[in-house]
Amino acid sequence: MISFFSKLSLNNTPKPPVEIAKPAYMDKSATLEELGYRDENDLRETIYDFLRTIRDPEKPSTLEDLKVVYEEGIFVKEPTADKVPVLRVEYNPTVPHCSLATLIGLCIRIKILRSIHHPVKLDVYIKKGAHTTEDEINKQINDKERIAAAMENPNLRNLVENCIADEE
Amino acid sequence: MASRFSGALQLTDLDDFITPSQECIKPVKIEKTKTKTGAKIKIGQDGYFDVSNGRQQKLQKVEITLADCLACSGCITSAESVLVTKQSQEELLRVFAEKKFTNNKGVVQDVSLIVISLSPQPVLSLAARYGLTAEEATTKLTGYFKSLGAHLVLDMTVAEDLSLLEAQQEFLQRYQDHQNDPTSKKLPMLASSCPGWVCYAEKTHGNFILPYISTTKSPQQIMGTLVKQYLSSIRQLSPAEIYHVTVMPCYDKKLEASREDFYSDILNCHDVDCVITAIELEQMLGTDKSLSEVESVPLDCPWPESPGAAPALRRHGGSGSGGYADHVFTYAAEVLFGEANAKLVYKNLRNPDFREVTLEKDGKEVLKFAIANGFRNIQNLVQKLKRGKSPYHYVEVMACPSGCLNGGAQVRPAPGDNSRELVSQLQDMYSRLPPAAPADNKLALQLYADWLHGRHSDKARATLHTAYHALEKNDIALNIKW
Amino acid sequence: MDNLKLTQTIPAHKGIAWNLSWHPSGNTFASCGEDKTIKLWSKEGGSWAAKAVLMDGHQRAIRQVAWSPCGNLLASASFDATTAIWDKKSGQFECNATLEGHENEVKSVAWSPSGMLLATCGRDKSVWIWEVAGDDEYECEAVLNAHHQDVKKVVWHPLSEILASASYDNTVKLYKEEIHDNEWNCIATLQSHESTVWSLAFDPTGERLATCSDDKTVKIWKQYRPHNPEGLVMEKDAVWKCVCTLSGYHTRCIYDIAWCHKTGLIATACGDDVIRIFAETEDSDPNAPTFELVCTKFNAHSQDVNCVAWNPLGNRELISCSDDGEIKVWNLQDGED
Repeated sequence: MISFFSKLSLNNTPKPPVEIAKPAYMDKSATLEELGYRDENDLRETIYDFLRTIRDPEKPSTLEDLKVVYEEGIFVKEPTADKVPVLRVEYNPTVPHCSLATLIGLCIRIKILRSIHHPVKLDVYIKKGAHTTEDEINKQINDKERIAAAMENPNLRNLVENCIADEE
Repeated sequence: MASRFSGALQLTDLDDFITPSQECIKPVKIEKTKTKTGAKIKIGQDGYFDVSNGRQQKLQKVEITLADCLACSGCITSAESVLVTKQSQEELLRVFAEKKFTNNKGVVQDVSLIVISLSPQPVLSLAARYGLTAEEATTKLTGYFKSLGAHLVLDMTVAEDLSLLEAQQEFLQRYQDHQNDPTSKKLPMLASSCPGWVCYAEKTHGNFILPYISTTKSPQQIMGTLVKQYLSSIRQLSPAEIYHVTVMPCYDKKLEASREDFYSDILNCHDVDCVITAIELEQMLGTDKSLSEVESVPLDCPWPESPGAAPALRRHGGSGSGGYADHVFTYAAEVLFGEANAKLVYKNLRNPDFREVTLEKDGKEVLKFAIANGFRNIQNLVQKLKRGKSPYHYVEVMACPSGCLNGGAQVRPAPGDNSRELVSQLQDMYSRLPPAAPADNKLALQLYADWLHGRHSDKARATLHTAYHALEKNDIALNIKW
Repeated sequence: MDNLKLTQTIPAHKGIAWNLSWHPSGNTFASCGEDKTIKLWSKEGGSWAAKAVLMDGHQRAIRQVAWSPCGNLLASASFDATTAIWDKKSGQFECNATLEGHENEVKSVAWSPSGMLLATCGRDKSVWIWEVAGDDEYECEAVLNAHHQDVKKVVWHPLSEILASASYDNTVKLYKEEIHDNEWNCIATLQSHESTVWSLAFDPTGERLATCSDDKTVKIWKQYRPHNPEGLVMEKDAVWKCVCTLSGYHTRCIYDIAWCHKTGLIATACGDDVIRIFAETEDSDPNAPTFELVCTKFNAHSQDVNCVAWNPLGNRELISCSDDGEIKVWNLQDGED
């Protein structure tokens, strides 16, 4: 078969591919200690510190004020085969049919992924029995494709950015 | 909640209906009272209570009305719970029993005249369901509505005729405007009697497509105006005292009836109060009662001028969706090109639901019309328009494959029966109805002369035309579905 | 155990690298990602290098790319609700047609084996079938609303015009055109997965289908036709039955599955960063086939593996890509390292 790009390469010297910087955290063999945590509890506390300042999308309060997130809702689970820490975060919407529960889940996920600088597998769930459509919401906030697409919606993105922005 | 659409919208073998693809984006409006501390809300057994000022004050439940749904129409047919409360068979039976109803503004209104208007397609659907002729089904249905307490049961021939007469005039005007200014977005003229299509166009393609859509009201809405404005005046009734029910082949007609455009603040009522469909009538009759057991009663004719023949359901030449393409084509061929009785020979395009017909004059194509049914063909038509590749002067557009005879709320085929065969049976029945002759409809001509102050008057325009509104994408972040 | 030998690591995309598609020649592949670009890679002096970067076709992330069977056209599906068709009639790759109609994100695009049909699917729950209607002209043939949730992937049967779709509603559906009335209908619903079905792959004959899911299992489905020797009674033309479930291997969501039509090997891309390869055992019973794990590549990527694709030449070359933006090129070799 004729080379597919013959014409293209004649006309148009291809630009060299842009070198994409390797994130610093690519080495996965690191233990929790090597990642800088004293122990599992330290990791949980670190995560909780990220979450407690997230603002509610509608109210001036933080998720900590509203008791939507709480330290006992953060679990360090069995790491993956590659020793990547697995975190489970549970949260408790203020009312069982809170229309913003999905959005809060999105904020939690984005805040953790932005704040933590080593590989982690994250599962975010609504506290069992705390929402009338918890299965539906759990499925959505753990679907990475839906999350990636949501974060490309400028309005939604702004809203999330505002909720997770560090206080001045 | 489980669908109240009785399987009609969840067809097993026809996937081509416009289906709800976007969920409700109506922002919940909360009336806020100014407090310094913000509201404190307590959740009780029976609702939410605002306790911020020391007293318990029950909070209003947020209610979404059908009109809200239309203003959004994000879901077109998914606001089921909203639809069923206002336009359900239960509501209809309640109005029959109590002779009063709650209008859109929450005002309870006494009803002194209940009028039922029958469109041909659902009557044929019920005729096929119960093994009756079209005529039998018409009189049996009349008898059924009378037994429930209806005062008048009418055919809609005059409204269908008026709709076609207005469409032909509108086409002529658009054609001339287009000759003067080809960039004026006057052609192709797109039919507007299908509310599913109109909703979809308003929501998805907005100002790009709306200028092409015919402003002529659909037969249902012309009938509505006729009943609420004209009939009320000859009966010396307040329009709001009349409860007007139409019998239709599709659920989307309920949405059309509820549009703000068809609500009059002066008359304080909608032109059509309730739309009931073939499938709902089948349910109302129940499993143990056949329409054939009902006593036959002839249709009413409350008009001062006789339409020329006994009232009956009539056919219009061409498609079973009202014959728009055929009627406008025949008229335009004659008026614009002197071709009397032009013969229409349709050519199927990619599928039988996209057909076109042309008029040639001196070897040149001078008129090109099409009928596009079903969502996929709507897509192809819209894409053609967007790319400037539409060759058409007029397109009859219907959201359902095979058009209105196969409407989304027609009685479904019995288990094991083929829906395509049923549709062709209905097409056959439709073609055997007595023909209508819009140009010779004496009642229509009299209405133009007396009631509408002439064929081209401002009143005729105001009464027989409507407008469309592009829907702003409502991207309030809190309501975005992702 | 076989060994998956890494031959090249390519930092390819900024952000997530979502998908890869082999050119039918096997000497070129395309990649796409969150950075809204498509990159075309071919071999130069023994290693894969970017030959072209296609930009400005989409306004949001590109979720999938697919080469047409003739190799002249490339389709790309994007979160911007459009599908773009690229060709190099002008000498270099340009987008010359855009398929619009989906309400929001398009998640997948696939060419039929004849190259005359395209299928797309998306979050609006619909599957669309498009016909190639001439130069840069595509007409909508059908809009299928069989799923009641987000549709993640569409894949054509390798030999006939049967389409399969995988959905967030946990099912897989198959569609076929009714000959006598040109209507596309759903002919089968494959129900057994307990969560989102992310991807699927036919075997070379199209008689079997492999699916992978968020429920951490891979399932193999087999088609039974009327009067089958197994005596399976059916009302319809054919039924699909789940004949094998591979569970206990994957520890997180499985995002992609590739069934090599030359070697019969099945590769999976998993959210635990691992690539696994399965082979059917020699004594496998057609009605209850057995597959063995022949390779587990731990730490294949630093993050979720999103896509795996076997070189169509059957040379046991596998490419994969990940959330970390990297593409890796592998070679499956017999025996341990």
